[in-house]
Amino acid sequence: MAYKPQYYPGTTSVGKNRRKHMSGDLEKLRDISDADVVTIMGHRAPGADYPSTHPPLAEMGEPDCPIRQIVTPTPGAAAGDRIRYSQFADSMYNAPAIPYFRSYWAAINCRGSDPGTLSGRQIVEARERDIEQYTKIMMDTEMCDPALATMRGCTVHGHSLRLDEDGMMFDMLARTELGSDGNVYYVKDQVGIPLDRKVNAGKPMSEAEAKKRTTIFRCDNVSFGGPCTADKRTLDEGLVTLHHMWERRSKWGFRPE
Amino acid sequence: MVTKSDTESVQIEIFPQRFLKPDTAQRLLEEIYSSGGILRIMIQGPNLPKSVPYGPGKGIPIEEHMNMLLELGDSALELRVKVGRIWLELESEEKIEWVKAACERVLPCTFTIKRKQLFHTKPTVSDYAKYGSEVEDKRILGLVDPKAKRERDLAILSDTGGDT
Repeated sequence: MAYKPQYYPGTTSVGKNRRKHMSGDLEKLRDISDADVVTIMGHRAPGADYPSTHPPLAEMGEPDCPIRQIVTPTPGAAAGDRIRYSQFADSMYNAPAIPYFRSYWAAINCRGSDPGTLSGRQIVEARERDIEQYTKIMMDTEMCDPALATMRGCTVHGHSLRLDEDGMMFDMLARTELGSDGNVYYVKDQVGIPLDRKVNAGKPMSEAEAKKRTTIFRCDNVSFGGPCTADKRTLDEGLVTLHHMWERRSKWGFRPE
Repeated sequence: MVTKSDTESVQIEIFPQRFLKPDTAQRLLEEIYSSGGILRIMIQGPNLPKSVPYGPGKGIPIEEHMNMLLELGDSALELRVKVGRIWLELESEEKIEWVKAACERVLPCTFTIKRKQLFHTKPTVSDYAKYGSEVEDKRILGLVDPKAKRERDLAILSDTGGDT
């Protein structure tokens, strides 16, 4: 029988969404062009050559190494691209992704990437042409809601703040705006440098849609197991597992015997 | 600010569920102010910088945050925060219902109004460092943070008040 990975437990929609993120089996909701993704990232002009930090591996004459023979280099590594990044901030108001699950997604599905998890933002680093491809997946699929998840290379403040009147996550640098046609537009790149033209990032999800697709447990949506004050809480299977691990670790963590 | 009143003042906090756009904040404050009986107003929220503070774009002006004015009475203040919380000191308890009605008329989202002691009554160490041992006008206590500049962040709309 073929091995089938069991990514995450739980029967709630949040558990299912977390499994989807980890497995990379994501629904594509929009199509943002490669040039637009490159524009928002701001590392190079769309269509420009990729600067490199070393010659292509094929020209370098690699040493005789069994690991190098087993592992095929990513396109970026083969070409000698620079390491570049994309970083997203996700609102706690039912954003589809959260830093940990972005990291799980990247670590499991993106070869040659280095995900970094922080409390309200998440960064993925990889060779330039690889990170562009990974970022496009993040922006095109259900991992992203342009109103609740924004690419923010710096000044990322917004994750834990209330939303703006129009439902957009607060952004100190005003990188995105809600257009009159209902689409969210990037007017600045991820570090706040104004763009020559606005980049359409698609329509925001409705509140109900965001609640359906989120990977965040919230008391006002899918909670861990009912209100904290409830007499009897029915915890999601994932939480039971987590509690089990914490209990064992607390009681016997330092005395494994 | 208004004249001294015989009734005891009350302090309330308006906490909208969403951050307010400058226009909405302006309309709300106008509605509240027009009814009179307001002793002190404080608005609070996350900072809106005038230029990019960090990263490769450091120093680039943020045009969206320029020239945002909050006009009230015959004064105007430059709005430097995204309005997320408003503290009011009202002349009397009856005014609370009026403020609530104004919020219902203007705010596009749900909100909460809580009555509590918001502004501190005694000078803190920071106040002492800033104003000295004698605070000229005690209404300033708790109205602006210690690093605020009085001429930039504080407006006296009608200086007929006393030691409220």
